[in-house]
Amino acid sequence: MVHWSETLRTSLSRRQVLKGLALAGGALLAACAPGRETTPTPAVGGTPSAGMSFEGVEVNVITFTGPQIAEPLQRRAPDFQKLTGAKVNVITVPFADLYQKILTDITTGTNSYHVLVFSPQWMADFVEPGYLEDLTPRIEADSALEWDDIAPFFRNFSATYGGRIYTIPLDGDFQMAYYRTDLLEAEGLEPPQTWEDYLSIAEHFHGKDLNGDGVPDFGSGIAKKRGAQSYWMFWSIAAQFLQSQGTQQGSFFDTETMEPLTNNEAFARALEIYKETGTYGPPDELNWDVGDSRSAFVTGRCALTVDWGDIGTLAIDPEQSKVKDKVGAIILPGTRQVLDRQSGKLVDCDQTTCPHAIDGVNHAPYAAYGGWSGAINKAAPEQVKAAGYAFLSYMSQPAQANVDVTIGRTGFNPYRISQFKNLDLWIKAGMSEQAAKNYLGAIEASLNSPNMVLDLRIPGTQRYQGVVLDTVLSRFLAGELTVEQAMEELTQGWNEITDELGRDKQLQAYRASLSIR
Amino acid sequence: MALRVRQTPYGPGMLGLVVSYAVLGIWTLVVLFPLYWLFITSFKLPVQVNDGPVYLPFGDFTPSLHAWRYILVDLRNDTLRPYANTVIVGLTSSVLTLALGAAATYGLTRFNYRVRLSSVAWFMVGIAIAIGAVRLGLPWPLAVASGLAVFVLLRLAMPRRGDATGRALTNADIAFWMISQRMLPPVAVVIPIYILFQRLGMLDTRAALVVSYVAANLPIAVWLLRDYFRTIPLELEESAAIDGATRYQILWSIVLPLALPGLVATFLFIFVLAWNEYLLALFLSSANAQTMPLLVAAQNATRGPQWWYMSVLILLMIGPVIAMAIALERFIARGLLLGAVRG
Amino acid sequence: MRDGRWPTTVQADTERAAASRGVAATLARRARLDRESVLLWADRQAGAVLVLPAVLVILALSIFPLVFSLYLSLARFQPAPGGFRIHFLGLLNYRKLLLGSEQEHFLGVLAALSPGTWVVWALLSALAVLLLARSLVSAPVTPVRVLGHAIVATAALLALWLVVRTLAHGGRPGTLVVTWIYVLAGVAVQYLIGLGLATLCAQELPGRRFFRVVFLLPMMITPVGVAYTFRMLTDTAKGPFAPIAKLFGFANVSWVNDPWGARIAVMIGDLWQWTPFMFIVLLAALESQSPEPIEAAIVDGASRWQIFWHITLPQIAPVSSTLVLIRLIEAFKIFDMPNVLTAGGPGTATESLTLHAYVLWRALDYGTSAAVAYSLLFVVTFVGIAYVRLIHRRVAEAL
Repeated sequence: MVHWSETLRTSLSRRQVLKGLALAGGALLAACAPGRETTPTPAVGGTPSAGMSFEGVEVNVITFTGPQIAEPLQRRAPDFQKLTGAKVNVITVPFADLYQKILTDITTGTNSYHVLVFSPQWMADFVEPGYLEDLTPRIEADSALEWDDIAPFFRNFSATYGGRIYTIPLDGDFQMAYYRTDLLEAEGLEPPQTWEDYLSIAEHFHGKDLNGDGVPDFGSGIAKKRGAQSYWMFWSIAAQFLQSQGTQQGSFFDTETMEPLTNNEAFARALEIYKETGTYGPPDELNWDVGDSRSAFVTGRCALTVDWGDIGTLAIDPEQSKVKDKVGAIILPGTRQVLDRQSGKLVDCDQTTCPHAIDGVNHAPYAAYGGWSGAINKAAPEQVKAAGYAFLSYMSQPAQANVDVTIGRTGFNPYRISQFKNLDLWIKAGMSEQAAKNYLGAIEASLNSPNMVLDLRIPGTQRYQGVVLDTVLSRFLAGELTVEQAMEELTQGWNEITDELGRDKQLQAYRASLSIR
Repeated sequence: MALRVRQTPYGPGMLGLVVSYAVLGIWTLVVLFPLYWLFITSFKLPVQVNDGPVYLPFGDFTPSLHAWRYILVDLRNDTLRPYANTVIVGLTSSVLTLALGAAATYGLTRFNYRVRLSSVAWFMVGIAIAIGAVRLGLPWPLAVASGLAVFVLLRLAMPRRGDATGRALTNADIAFWMISQRMLPPVAVVIPIYILFQRLGMLDTRAALVVSYVAANLPIAVWLLRDYFRTIPLELEESAAIDGATRYQILWSIVLPLALPGLVATFLFIFVLAWNEYLLALFLSSANAQTMPLLVAAQNATRGPQWWYMSVLILLMIGPVIAMAIALERFIARGLLLGAVRG
Repeated sequence: MRDGRWPTTVQADTERAAASRGVAATLARRARLDRESVLLWADRQAGAVLVLPAVLVILALSIFPLVFSLYLSLARFQPAPGGFRIHFLGLLNYRKLLLGSEQEHFLGVLAALSPGTWVVWALLSALAVLLLARSLVSAPVTPVRVLGHAIVATAALLALWLVVRTLAHGGRPGTLVVTWIYVLAGVAVQYLIGLGLATLCAQELPGRRFFRVVFLLPMMITPVGVAYTFRMLTDTAKGPFAPIAKLFGFANVSWVNDPWGARIAVMIGDLWQWTPFMFIVLLAALESQSPEPIEAAIVDGASRWQIFWHITLPQIAPVSSTLVLIRLIEAFKIFDMPNVLTAGGPGTATESLTLHAYVLWRALDYGTSAAVAYSLLFVVTFVGIAYVRLIHRRVAEAL
């Protein structure tokens, strides 16, 4: 008993000291934080919910081996420990096996990971069996997090499932189109508004030398490798035709019958465009993943590409890039025709068919993958959950996040409104003012769109996309399937999974993912 | 005698010599070029890799130490820890595999085993009972114990028939059973193994990796050593036995020294297997026991393969193995499977 | 003596002697176990003591996975509150592979029957049956052996049927046939190259120790690493051979778009990685063959080729056979190279069975994945047993 009371006493006094430290540290951080003027509550700017102490608590955070995503977590963990006393261990595993690793850990009851930093796309597989902690009450009580500063799409859709909040966004993932400003300006061309524009610009530049090395280059370069990111790239095309009525309409299934939207005129058109981009691409595009398409774009070998926000920061990295300040970003090209779900035909855009169209073009910015987010394992001890939550909140608070998103190696892309309102951060990171305006303009246009496309988040997501869709696309590109066969195969494959997992359950999950009540 | 040139069919003439060196030279190029490419890639900046091939450091590009610095300085402990793990797990598991493998091989080449089919059948019954018990909700240690108990009881209760009668499994069958354990693809094995070690509370320990590597590589060790042990002449063993040496003494002081080249070569091979294993390491470790192959694979993340870091890691991994190969080469040179004693 | 077994008389003698001494000792000292008697007892049990540890270790780590995967292959895995649930499905997963939605992926697409297909199949089948018949009559014909040969013959005809129909114009091989291609071509080519290099290195050449160490290198690199290295090397834009391709006017052609181009790329990588294993084992075998028969043959005026064919090859046959079996088993599990190089593309052209199982497994479809894995296990076991019974034992016994 003596030991116990002694421990208590020391921990109490230590806690008081820590509280002082925390306040001082918070003030210091807040003072240093560049985004301070957009921070309405500077007093708690850097502290996780004031007054908390997690002395002796250890939190295991799992994510993939960085430097992306893991680096900021590892870098800020000691700061967080100074503030709260909680020790954060960042455990990393190879990217390709992260999903398996987390799921195996939880399903077998090992529960060695308390905080999961993963893609919200996997959420359904974790929320449905009840593996994740509902964060709604904690977030409501947390003013330092500045939840309302997070872009509405990430707040209301990406982080939310069935009306409850399960993740805290740390990164904003959605796809945009990138073009070479110098080339387009020289030829007097406008950035692509539609996929038809994209193709004609690609055709225009294909086979010309674009980086001055005397070798013919490519009009477009899109990652099309199997087992990589090809299906997201494809959906960036397909979604433009499939969704026009706002996020809740969804782009994968009919929200009443769970019938896939993959066997109609619109989908056929999307497949044709997808294949046609290849005619203006490199000869081995079938084997390109984003590593290849990014490096080709930033070394000036392609005039156009489709990618996540990463190219913006890669292009200003002198170790990687030969096209600094020659890169423009724009919201994903759209279409003037969209799918009529009743008839399965393409119809022209008008007030009713495309209420969110800009200049008659329907844009559907696709939040592919959804952006790395933090969730909490429900099976963790209470104290650990609280500390884990505090850490995620700390990472996402503007004082930290607004710095991290401007650093290329963090892999974090903007997801807060304050992040693209403040040009200084980006100019300090090495962008020219014009490039920063252009890049942030494209992000803002995408994030502000009420027609953003939520990625598929239902149980078995990996099977729908990573196995069936991925294989069908690869076979279609390889010429094993015609457009009709591809649509047939895909629709059958998806229906088979749906029936296997239970059509009603899947429909319910799909509606929950879109927050349809 | 001094004039006698060793006349083997491989004693080459002048033309043969030229052809031999030409072929060996070409294959040396084939082997070394990828390694050269790894080597120079480790000194390239990303932009030098991505902007088309460059071939000569200081020739057509200026080498940079950025990747080496990142791996060795920036990541220091995150590289050292897996490295130490790989060394420890690799060495321990290979030594154990070799010890168990040599003993088993000696047994398989010197004794006639007869495992009666009925015993195998009773063993299956035991397993079925264990499974049934788990399905009925019994905790697994109890279930396993009851399965084992049933097996032992059945085995004892059944009358022992003469060893010569009745169908039985022989040495060849045992050897085949062992090698057949390598036939199931790793993806099918890894989750059950994970559950096994999770129940034993051994996840993320080096011991778990050592045990699973020993089990995985034993069959290969036995098969490689088997042909070798067979060729060791029995006369020495017989005379030792007549002098009263035990089996273990014979194995230790006669057979093993004679089998040294085979043992060394086998050791090198299973060491390479353990050193490079990926999937089991991925699942059985999470932080403390992670090994180097995970680090190599991890260099392909959201931004595509980081060739420069990956090259550094591969070169770091191959270094010790090459050193070991050079050190042990003289043993291997004396023959992997067939002893120098022969002939 | 030839079979390497301990002469039974000696064995019996020692055991009897040991037993009687052991019994005497026990009687003399009653329950007091002293060192000598323990040692004697241990010596009598040597057979078991030597083999059991290895058997138990393998058994402990293989029984549970075998049973668990078998059960999974008959079921569906689903995450559930507090853990997971397994729904038993019977043979549905296998049905999906053989007849259902995965059939095209697993077995492939059969080409329309043409006279050409028939002829090729008939020729190959005739060859297979002939070989099996020769093997059958080479030893006393018993009902068990007839049955065994008949089963192998049936399987061979079916396999040939699948191979011929899927590889013919208009057909497409599934992951099963692609794996067979990798295994057959890989093991055969690797063996031949390994043998050739080993023969050259076995000569008394200055500098052979250098070649020996260098030729071993590829085997020592972690398989994932080898696969990524080959991805670098085969890149048509950034790889070292890109300028050469350009020189020959292939700048706009890429191996990745052609099924056979991609398969050959995978096989070259596999060849680079595993030829060293063949090389080192065969080199050891060549170096330790006894020189007398060769010297005698030289005296008799035999040509080099005759010596190689009639003396060297039979001498290294048992080792070769073991080697081929080990490589056969490992080659069936080819995974890293196709996964990293092409991820199975273009389409499904380079996808091996293990990769097929892995893709499903990664998507949490453990049931179908286990069914693919078990199909592979079935095929490998069958091939392995057939190989051991028909070839390995005969060759090994010739030692």
